[in-house]
Parts: sequence; structure tokens; C-alpha cells
Amino acid sequence: MKKEHIQHLYWRAGFGINPKAMQSLLDKSRKSVVDLLFYESSNYIPLKIDTPEFDTLTFEEFNETKKIHRAYIEKSKLKVKELNHEWIHKMSFSNETLREKMTLFWANHFVCQDRFILYIQKFNNTLRQNALGNFKDFVKAISKEPTMIDYLDLKQNRKNKPNENFARELFELFTLGVGNYSENDIKESAKAFTGYNYNFEGDFVFNEKQHNYDFKHVFDKAGRYDGDDIIDIVLEQKQCARFICTKLYSYFVNSTLNQAHIEDMTDVFYSDYHIETVLKYMFTQDWFYSPEHIGTKIKSPVELIVGMSQIVPVTFKETEQVLGIQKMLGQILLYPPNVAGWKGGKNWIDSNTLMLRLKLPSALLSDGKIDTKVKGDFYDSFSKYYENRKGNTKIKASIDWDVFKTNYEEVEIEDLNNYLLQSPINKGTLNYLNRLSKTSKLDYCVQLMSIPEYQMC
Amino acid sequence: MDRRKFIKNSSLASSLFLVPSFVNAFSQMVTSETGYKRLVIIQLSGGNDGLNTLVPFRNDDYYRARPTIGLKKEGLINLDNELGLHSSLRPLKDLYDQGYLTIINNVGYPNPNRSHFRATDIWQTASDSNQYLQTGWIGRYLDHFNQKPDAAIELDESLSLALKGDKLNGMAIKNPALLYKTTQDPYLKNVSKHYQDNHLNEHNLGYLYKTLIDTKSSARYIYETSKTYSSSIDYPKHDFSKQLKTTAQFINSGLNTKVYYASLTGFDTHIYQLNKHKRLLKVYADGMKAFVKDLQSKDSFKDTLILTFSEFGRRVNQNSGNGTDHGSANTLFVIGGDLKKPGVYNNLASLSDLDNNGDMKFEIDFRTIYATVLKKWLHVNDQVILNKPFEPLDFI
Repeated sequence: MKKEHIQHLYWRAGFGINPKAMQSLLDKSRKSVVDLLFYESSNYIPLKIDTPEFDTLTFEEFNETKKIHRAYIEKSKLKVKELNHEWIHKMSFSNETLREKMTLFWANHFVCQDRFILYIQKFNNTLRQNALGNFKDFVKAISKEPTMIDYLDLKQNRKNKPNENFARELFELFTLGVGNYSENDIKESAKAFTGYNYNFEGDFVFNEKQHNYDFKHVFDKAGRYDGDDIIDIVLEQKQCARFICTKLYSYFVNSTLNQAHIEDMTDVFYSDYHIETVLKYMFTQDWFYSPEHIGTKIKSPVELIVGMSQIVPVTFKETEQVLGIQKMLGQILLYPPNVAGWKGGKNWIDSNTLMLRLKLPSALLSDGKIDTKVKGDFYDSFSKYYENRKGNTKIKASIDWDVFKTNYEEVEIEDLNNYLLQSPINKGTLNYLNRLSKTSKLDYCVQLMSIPEYQMC
Repeated sequence: MDRRKFIKNSSLASSLFLVPSFVNAFSQMVTSETGYKRLVIIQLSGGNDGLNTLVPFRNDDYYRARPTIGLKKEGLINLDNELGLHSSLRPLKDLYDQGYLTIINNVGYPNPNRSHFRATDIWQTASDSNQYLQTGWIGRYLDHFNQKPDAAIELDESLSLALKGDKLNGMAIKNPALLYKTTQDPYLKNVSKHYQDNHLNEHNLGYLYKTLIDTKSSARYIYETSKTYSSSIDYPKHDFSKQLKTTAQFINSGLNTKVYYASLTGFDTHIYQLNKHKRLLKVYADGMKAFVKDLQSKDSFKDTLILTFSEFGRRVNQNSGNGTDHGSANTLFVIGGDLKKPGVYNNLASLSDLDNNGDMKFEIDFRTIYATVLKKWLHVNDQVILNKPFEPLDFI
């Protein structure tokens, strides 16, 4: 498989790949490279942080007094931040590249937020566990997660007073998309999801007393449906497969949609709703590697952060800083803006986020400095700009340049851009880069990571 | 030299020479000049419950629909013996008494969408209910009538669709000094200087470069101009007030930005609505009070129009969780020093004649309000931006 194509595959299905790791893939066929990618992700290793104060906690202890309850909630909120930090770390260093990428994808599909650590951690692992599995099982599992039950008010959805929130988002965001259901379908489906609850341990509890056992009229069918039945009925519609495949195409291929290719994916996915099958299909098509797709996607903030670690491993030391960076870039994991999640693409970019994106590599890797020496210069004429800085809070992280040196050892400095950048370089920028002195591979690495082209994948 | 030309030349000059004293003189000229109209848009995100914001306290239907969350007459601020403001909105009553507040009821659009995201997009893009637009109405205003990204500023870390145009975006700015400093990095300046392309906005990479170049020039202008004014008004401690304070700083320093966009979030009150709603309205009203005072202190209030909207109202009937679900038509506030029809603009729609979803029926299309503001306040052709004609109202 061609180098450019391997890099493309690994950028879309993961967070990038270094030249050393790529070496053994170069003489393999596309099919075996893709198979290997799935094989590496066949293991499911949950994300777990230490939560000693919650592990044996009982409902009674949790709610002993209002004050104690509040204290636990505050502790839990800190733990959720820690989970965010660990998740970033896991994505950066896990061997299950594809599974982690898909977990990230699904987290922006089944969007949830929770301040109780055990439930949000459980939810996150349900995403991870089902990331490559069967979509039908996945939706059903999600509808029974305590975090989802809370987030979309399923607890408030009672026999005599239905709450439509979950039913609406199930159709609009999770399965069919806007315009493919009626208000009546929502009202009737809400009745089917009555009685959904969970116990303190986070296990799903079906409250028969609160369930509405009446007939429900949904999508031209009628029956005494429960929630799982509704999900079965929704997935019978090809529109559901089409909706998911459109989202996959838009995320992994191009936000400019090709309906013919999406329709082909839809046919594959609709046959058994197996996620792995449709992904494999997508990653092995010729059109997936078409030049119009390579290097044309704007990295999400998380892809940017995690992607940097594939080049120079970065281990953040302070949770607040990891969250702070994500906040400024416009994407804090576990804290979505709303139930529709992040829009992505150009929406990541505005004056603030762009400046931070361009500064982030140097802030992490070279104390904020980007070398501007051109050939023949003895010193950097702009060093004054950096001397005058004061009071900058440094990001506390350990940076492993040795890994970079080993992995990029065989790469000539003049060739480095072909490994760090997915997008062709603008002519004017290339002229500028060519004038730089390029005496240090490390400096040049930071320079390349600081141009807009590095924001693309 | 006419005013437009003057401003154009001045901002060019200031970005070239960067002489603070010149900027200072420039800003004084603009603020002393009357007639430089500015629009401030405030979004109450999540769907503000209009019926508990402006309460029809003589209507039995209201109390029947809301047995536990209906607001009692005694707690309300009486406006006209029919409608009462929520007790948190005392500062708005003061504005109302001075003729600085117009309340427009039953604002919505045909076939309302009850999804936050869709409804927000509809309001921000000024589309029909079944129409998907990729640009916001302020973004199109920039595209057609104002060729600078700093003509529209959102006081946030990220930019809403409302301010995204086809060729031009507004800017998201929370901290002008920080943004300016970042743009002064020598390497990044070199990169942006060397960029070559005649088709800047056509692909994602071009979009990044264009944003970089625009940011660099605007950040300097905004920073140099806005630092000439600092407010002496006390604002409440809240992120929303901070947005308003920065807005007032921008306006009072004479920044030639035409549109500001701020937001207050959390109005999605499905459960336990009463306390939450009370707190949010207080944050809104107290912030507005300080903001208006700040503008008045530099005599810029009369040239400022403040529009407050929410993506939808809420269901007339309360739900089982002492909250309300997503509804449709809603009440909209217009605040300004130069209103033609202050007070309650139109009667609240019936609470007995609801649509088949149990929501209030809309009377005024929200785009007629946009059309009014575009035509009569920003003095541009509204039809170009809204893509169809709307009969303007007469509140300004």
C-alpha cells in the first residue's frame, strides 16, 4: 500500500502514523492493512480511573444529608475531569487505534453529559464496547444507560405524563434525522419508553408500574410496543442505515457528500447493521483514497491534540490544563455543547481557535517559540518578541523527543513535511519554508506543525 | 469626507501606523458623532419560557395549564393590568417606564421546529422551517453590506452560525488583548504574509488562511481602539455580564463594529423550572441594567438597539417534572433609547386556541423583526439578506 494512502487511512481511522510504524505496511495489500487495523482493535479495554470513594458507596451514604450529597457531587465532578484527561491519554497511546477513533465518533453521535463519574464512565465504555459491533444492540444499550436516562429525561417520562425528549432525539439525532418522522411518531414512541429507570449501581431497571402498556401507533404500525420494539421498528427503515452512513461518510471521507457512495454503504450497512462491516467496506474502496479527500478535512481539537502525540509523545500532567486547552479549542470531551454534539469542519475555526491551534505545537514542544531563522542568519531577528513575554503559564507536560528521533530517524529533514502534513503546502508558504535555515529536525518539526496545513488531515 | 469614507480610511490608517493617540482621537470623533447605529443581539439559549417571563395573570387558562409552576399575581411586576413581568425583571420595568422597552408577543414562524438545534439554526439563518441554510443572517449582512469581519463580533470563544457568511465571518472575541498578542507571533506573521492564493475561500485550507489574515488585521484594530475606554459601571459577576461589559467597552470606545452577539444559556427548563428560571432571568435583567447604564454614560444608548430572543417558547401545559417542554411562539424584547412604539406592542395570543401540539400560535414572523432592524436601523436592503420580502413593523 502506498505511503500516502496508509497515512490517509491512519489519519481518518486513527490519529496518524509515524514512518517507523508505517515501514512494515508498505509492502502489504490494502486489504491486509485494513484487516490489521481491525485486528489491532479487536480487544476491548475499558477506560477506568480510580474511584475508591465511590466504589462501595451506597445510596443511603450518598444521600445521608444534603451537605454530604453535595460534597460527593463536587468530588464526582473532579473525577469526570480526570476521566477526560485519561481519555485523551488513552487515545494518544492506545494500540486499539480504530476502536478509540470510533469511540470518539460515537461520543459525538450518542451525545451525553453527566456529573456522576460512575455513570459517565460506564456510558463511555458502552460506547467503546459497541464501537465496532452491531448498531441495533448499540442503540438499545444506549437507551438503558443511566446517563442517557438522565440526560434526556427518561425518568420523567411517565405513564400518564410522557416526556418526549428522548423519543425526539432518538429519531432526530440517533437514527433517522430531521424530517423523517412525525410529531405523532414522537408522542407515541415516548409512551413506549415509559418505565425506564436505573438503580444506584447504574443497572437498568424497568418499572412496570410506570410503563404504558397501551397500543402505540408508530410509523404506520400499531402494537403494545416497548422501547426495544420501537428501536427495531425504526431500524427496519432504510433511512436509518442511510442516516448513519451519511454521518460516517461525512466524518471519515468528506463533508461534501457523494450520494452514490453513501447509497452503496447504506446497502452494506442495512443488511445486518454491523458497524465493522460497513467501515471495512468504506476503508477498502478506491474512492476512499481519492486525492480530493486526502488532507482536506479540518482536524477536530481532539484529533489535533492526540495527533501531535503520534509524532512527539505528550503526557499532560495537570488535568485542569488538559481541559483548559480543549476549552479554548472549542471541544471539551464529556462536556458537549448540547445533545447534537459538535458540528465539526469549518465550525471549529474562528479567529480565536485558529490562533490557538497554530500556537499549540510550539507551546507544548518548544516553550512557545517558533524559530524564524532563514538561511545564512546567525541569530533569530525576532527573538525580541519572545524575550518580552512574561507571565505566560506554561503547560506542564512531559515531551518525549527521543521517540520522535527514533521514529523519524530515516526521514531526511527536507522530506519531513511529507510525513507530518497531509495537505499540499500553499505555494507562498512553501517558498517561505524553503528559505528557513533547517538546521534542526526538531525545530523544523515545530515549524511545520505551526502552519495552517498541519490543521488538515 | 463622508462618514463611511472617513471610517474606512481611518481604520486603514490605524492598522498601518498604529499610533494610539490617533486612535484615541478617532474614537472620540466617532462616539461624539450621532447616528452610528449599533445592533446588539442577545440569545437566551435553551428555549426561554415566555409565558413565565411575561405572565397573563388575569387568564385562568394560564393557571389551569400550570397548576404548580404558574406564577401568582402577587409576585409579578404589573405592566398594564393584563400582563406582569417576572419578579426578577425589575430592571426591565424601569426601562419600560422610561420608554426604552418594546415587548413583542407571539413571535415565531410557520410549522415550528421544536428541536433546539434546528430551531436555533432557523432563527440564526432566518430560514423557513423546512429550509437548510449554511449562512447566518448577520453573516449575509457582512457578505453584502459590510466587507469587514470585525463589523460583527460575538462575545464568545466560538462563533455562532448567525455570524457566518458565505465569504465573510464575524469574529468571536472574549479577550481582545489576548487575541492581539497571539497574532503578533513573528513566525505566524511571516506565514500569513507569504500566503498566495486568489481563491481564498474555496476550500478548507484557504478558509484557514483567510481567517488567519483577517484575524491579524482585525485583532490589532480592535485591541488598539477598545483599550481607550474602560467602564466605571459595576456589573454583576457573571459570564453574561462580562460579555455585556466588553460589548459596552467596544461601543463606547468607538469601535466601528455594527453588530454584537451575546448569549445566556441554560433556559431548557424541563424539570424544576421555578428556581432555575428565576435565577437566569435575574442574571439577564441585572446584566442589562448595568449595560444600559454604561451606554448611557457615554451617550451611546440612543444609537444602540438591543434585541433579545430565544429559539422557541415552551409548552403552555407544564409537564410532570414541574417544568415545561419545548414549545413554539415566544415573546421578544427590544431595548433601545430611540423606540417608536415602546410598551407592549401586541396582545398575547390565546391560551385556549392552541396548535395541535398544545403550543401558542405565532402571529409575527421573526423575520419581519429582522427585516425591520435591517431596513430601519442598519439601513440596508433587507430583502437581499432575507431572500424574500417581509413587511417591516413600526417599533423603530
